[in-house]
Amino acid sequence: MIQDIPPTAIAAPAPERSVATVSEARIAAALTDAQVKVDSSFRGASIVLYGAVFNPEDTPTDVVVVVRGPDAPVRLVKKTRNTGVWLNSRPVLFEGAPGFYMTASTRPLSDISDFGQLRRLGVGVDHLRINAPEESRTVTRYGVRDVVVSRLGEDYLDWRRAVIRLREGAELYDTDPDGVEFVDRGLFRAEVKLPAVAPTGRYFAQVWLFQDGEPISVSNLTLTVEKVGIERDIFEFAHRRPWSYGVLCVLLAALTGWGASRLFRRT
Amino acid sequence: MDIYLPIAEVSVNWPLLVLLGATVGFVSGLFGIGGGFLMGPILIFLGIPPAVAVASQASHVVASSTSGVISYTSQKAVDYRIGGVMAAGGVLGALLGVELFRYLRLLGQADLAVALAYLLFLGAIGLLMLYESLGQILRRLRGEPAPHKERRRPLWLYGLPLRMRFPRSGLYISAIPPFALGAFVGILSAIMGVGGGFILVPAMLYVLRMKASVVVGTSLFQIIITTAMTTILQAGRNQTVDIVLSMLLLVGGVVGAQYGARLSGRFQADTLRAVLGGIVLLVGIQMGLTLFVRPSDLFAFAPGVGQ
Repeated sequence: MIQDIPPTAIAAPAPERSVATVSEARIAAALTDAQVKVDSSFRGASIVLYGAVFNPEDTPTDVVVVVRGPDAPVRLVKKTRNTGVWLNSRPVLFEGAPGFYMTASTRPLSDISDFGQLRRLGVGVDHLRINAPEESRTVTRYGVRDVVVSRLGEDYLDWRRAVIRLREGAELYDTDPDGVEFVDRGLFRAEVKLPAVAPTGRYFAQVWLFQDGEPISVSNLTLTVEKVGIERDIFEFAHRRPWSYGVLCVLLAALTGWGASRLFRRT
Repeated sequence: MDIYLPIAEVSVNWPLLVLLGATVGFVSGLFGIGGGFLMGPILIFLGIPPAVAVASQASHVVASSTSGVISYTSQKAVDYRIGGVMAAGGVLGALLGVELFRYLRLLGQADLAVALAYLLFLGAIGLLMLYESLGQILRRLRGEPAPHKERRRPLWLYGLPLRMRFPRSGLYISAIPPFALGAFVGILSAIMGVGGGFILVPAMLYVLRMKASVVVGTSLFQIIITTAMTTILQAGRNQTVDIVLSMLLLVGGVVGAQYGARLSGRFQADTLRAVLGGIVLLVGIQMGLTLFVRPSDLFAFAPGVGQ
């Protein structure tokens, strides 16, 4: 179970080199909106990613779209039953989990490329580098350094899967094996659905072109989700000057209560 | 009709929140309680993160209690002297409670503390109220005279130092019991997000034996101070007060509270107490059930970082 901690996956290799050497096929993509504004009417957003595949050969290609939001570490508890009562375990901190992650592809990812390749590129929810650094320690054993021991032991995969499952439940993680749709020869589109709870920050979209299981071209895009208008002002105020904000909340509440009693006495 | 809440970071249907505020405000005016014990569970049910729900409704309780206190003051039904002693205790309790809650959240045990507190306190108070008021209703219906009540306070109330006169409540007792009561309720207010009226009112009636006419107004006064303190502390320490959420709730809440307070005179006091006891008991059981029912997912997010 020790080896379950996936190797570095985020540090994606420089794909440009392989592009030139392997094939002439290329991919280009763009987003309908590079900026998502979160205001009081925000109920989530749907952005269309569209692009084109230039493929001079006849070898079939696959398109994989990966959108990754800013990292949002997560603390997880597991409920266990103790003498009839469900209690929370000690919380475990997981790092490296993006706050938003989706993949859309022309076929299931496992059909497009092999496990090792996907893991190396960090493509697919199973290949996210989510781990609990505080629960693991590196030791030297039999003269071999860097043996990672996890205190979560056998449960480790359950915990990791739970992070993904809970985020999928909140529509923050999504895997759509038919999400990339070809509208015309070489022209494709994919939809990026951001729920209302999507974290704010910079999002990175990678559009991969696979041929025979090898990534042959990639297009990188960025997308920002930011709070605007009064929402941002309130959020900033509450976090920058929390005490004044608290006093203001109380004054506002007391004033409303007072105002209401004045109003009702007259009528 | 949806609005995005900047601190809770979820979008919710705003007319629903105003309606919820009005309903809870109505209940709070009717029974002379803050209504937080109802609001918290409902907000959590609507998908508001529990920490934000507990902290934001405290400021809603401030508003509904303010309009309540003003209407009780005009009826000379607030004892500011004993209320002040209790509020001082409440401030201390709120300080302790917010720190305790913060610590429990980091341990991942906040759910347990909230569920246990609801089950224990609401369950016990609800049962007591129901038992006492139903007995009274039965006697009233049968036309039996009320049994002679022992009007003597527990002796230990006399043995304590720091005695003070509270003429409006008809009391000459030590300041320590009201202070301690206020502190206890302050801790509960931070953990459960409630004003604590459901504990204050019976304790003031049956333990301190205050004059019944000033009990509700005075408890509301103590609740204002305690929940105001809780709101400021929750905002300052945890940044979990959502001003948009609490404004929506209190716009409905203050209106509801006015109608509730007006209507409360039309019902028999024992009937009101029986209904309230029933509601309190149900909410306590409902919250407590989460401890015994197998959760649909064994894993859950714990607050602390990110979501």
